[in-house]
Amino acid sequence: MATQSYTPVPPGVGMEDNFLSLDDILLSQEKLPCRTETAFPRLGFLEKSGDTGDIQEGTKMEMPLWLAKGLYDSKRRVVAVDLPKVYREGWRTVFGADPNVVDLHKMGPYYYGLGSQLLHFDSPENPDIAQTVLQTFVRRFRRIMDSSQNAYNEDTSALVEKLDCMERSLFRSGQAGLHDFQRWEKGQSSQMTASSLVQNYRKRKFAELEA
Amino acid sequence: VSVMSDVLSEASEGSGDDSQELMTPAELIEKLEEAWLNEKFSPELLENKSEIVECVMEQLTHMEENLQRVKKGDLKASIHRMEIDRIRYVLSSYLRSRLQKIEKYFPHVLKKEKSRADGDPSYLSPEEFAFAKEYMANTETYLKNVALRHMPPNLQTVDFAKCVPEPSLDSFVFLRVKVQQENILVEPETDDQSEYAVDLEVGSQHLMRYRTIAPLVSNGAVQLI
Amino acid sequence: MFGEKAIELVRELDRIGDGQLPAFNEDGIRQVLEEMKALYEQNQSDVNEAKSEGASELIPTIKFRHCCLLRNQRCIAAYLYDRLLRVRALRWEYGSVLPTSVRFHMSAEELEWFNQYKKSLATYMRSLGGEEGLDITQDMKPPKSLYIEVRCVKDHGEFEIDDGTIILLKKNSQHFLPRWKCEHLIRQGVLEHVLS
Repeated sequence: MATQSYTPVPPGVGMEDNFLSLDDILLSQEKLPCRTETAFPRLGFLEKSGDTGDIQEGTKMEMPLWLAKGLYDSKRRVVAVDLPKVYREGWRTVFGADPNVVDLHKMGPYYYGLGSQLLHFDSPENPDIAQTVLQTFVRRFRRIMDSSQNAYNEDTSALVEKLDCMERSLFRSGQAGLHDFQRWEKGQSSQMTASSLVQNYRKRKFAELEA
Repeated sequence: VSVMSDVLSEASEGSGDDSQELMTPAELIEKLEEAWLNEKFSPELLENKSEIVECVMEQLTHMEENLQRVKKGDLKASIHRMEIDRIRYVLSSYLRSRLQKIEKYFPHVLKKEKSRADGDPSYLSPEEFAFAKEYMANTETYLKNVALRHMPPNLQTVDFAKCVPEPSLDSFVFLRVKVQQENILVEPETDDQSEYAVDLEVGSQHLMRYRTIAPLVSNGAVQLI
Repeated sequence: MFGEKAIELVRELDRIGDGQLPAFNEDGIRQVLEEMKALYEQNQSDVNEAKSEGASELIPTIKFRHCCLLRNQRCIAAYLYDRLLRVRALRWEYGSVLPTSVRFHMSAEELEWFNQYKKSLATYMRSLGGEEGLDITQDMKPPKSLYIEVRCVKDHGEFEIDDGTIILLKKNSQHFLPRWKCEHLIRQGVLEHVLS
């Protein structure tokens, strides 16, 4: 369990990107299929098939989101960003049918985050992407909320396994609320406990000693 | 109680503010609890309530002193001690919430305080202001020494105001209405909704975006719960 | 790709999500700074070339490297800042004196930050009200009773309570003590709050 005293920088909401958020940095490491629209001299070594010293114009390569976003310029042709499969029309139809059956962890794990970030790149499909991402969330949310509020001391791993990162953190806060409530009902909420930091460091110390 | 009233009247004389009425200890604690809940549930830092904090601290000191005079084992003593503990908890928890927000949003909190016009209420108490400035300087020095000064010349600074996220004023809060409000404009939540107005009846409870009712928190018309 | 070492730093903290402080990765930081130095030098020379020989085709490459520089800067800043948030938590969870096992994971500069933070917090708390101020790192939960039952988890030695009475906190001994005197010791794992 996390301590109250440590609250990390939260990820940005929607299309925002928090500079210091570890979650947002990990999200922006996700790879996007790109095509260069100009040559990048002297950087050929970054691209496997490049035997010349340059990345040629028209080269297809995967770029992390942070790089694609940094290079992208809607006025100048530098790099064209293609949609990852899950956001293309085929998958959008699948999500439209029943988003609850999809393993968003496997397809993501940053399905919502990456989907929102894609809107930074001009694409005629943007409204459809935004709509699908939103509707997917709306339709999956009830199940996540219900199970996080009702599963007490139950094995929830099968469900959690298939959740996107943002869904997981929602699920966790729902569970934390449920546990606090149960403790309160049993009259345990006034019990003072050792800091979880202290407990864990001690565990680690023992582990080191035993090793 | 008579000691308390004296203390409180001294405090209000000291501030030289005639409009401030004399508070009974019970009213003072009520004010503290209101400030505490508002601060706990509002996403942003609220105006400081230094006068309340000072008065409560004085009350605690007096209660401690009175307690010394009560015989040990007296039932009254334990009731008084319990009361002291409870008030101290609320006060500490209130000040903690503030300090946490000051740390979490330090660039924005400092900017707001520094750009405040004369006569506007200050958000930070002088002590909180000092703390916030030290926190910023300490963190800046740290980042500079460990990494930034070893970076290329054009990358040796980070703009904290851009890096550290601002409080999310769009988050939802629960509130209870204390003063009747009419025609509060509520922003639409979806594209097919349009802006609409609501009336807030005294005693009614609502779940709304903080941004919509922020001015009502600050003027005391609603209480966050 | 550039920035691989930098993302490794971030992953390292992300893996330990509960706020614990892993050992300071000095070597990782150094490697990222080296990559930045190289990127910057290449860019400097390409900028000069673009200017003097009008080689404007180099501009996309310069921009590419600049993005990588910014990425590295961001990862380092986020790594260091997140660690500070964890160091800050230590003050609230352990108190102002840290066990050696914890200090061992901190860099000298982090320790310095911690000491300054500790000082700022102390100054602030002293400024509250009367002569002694108010310790707001106490009273973390609303009080339910004046006295609580505690069990001693490890030997702690003599301990003075309010009225000057001294008791011996011996491992496995059980005591009925004023709640507010016990809070720090419970958080530090010396005492355990026993619910009746």
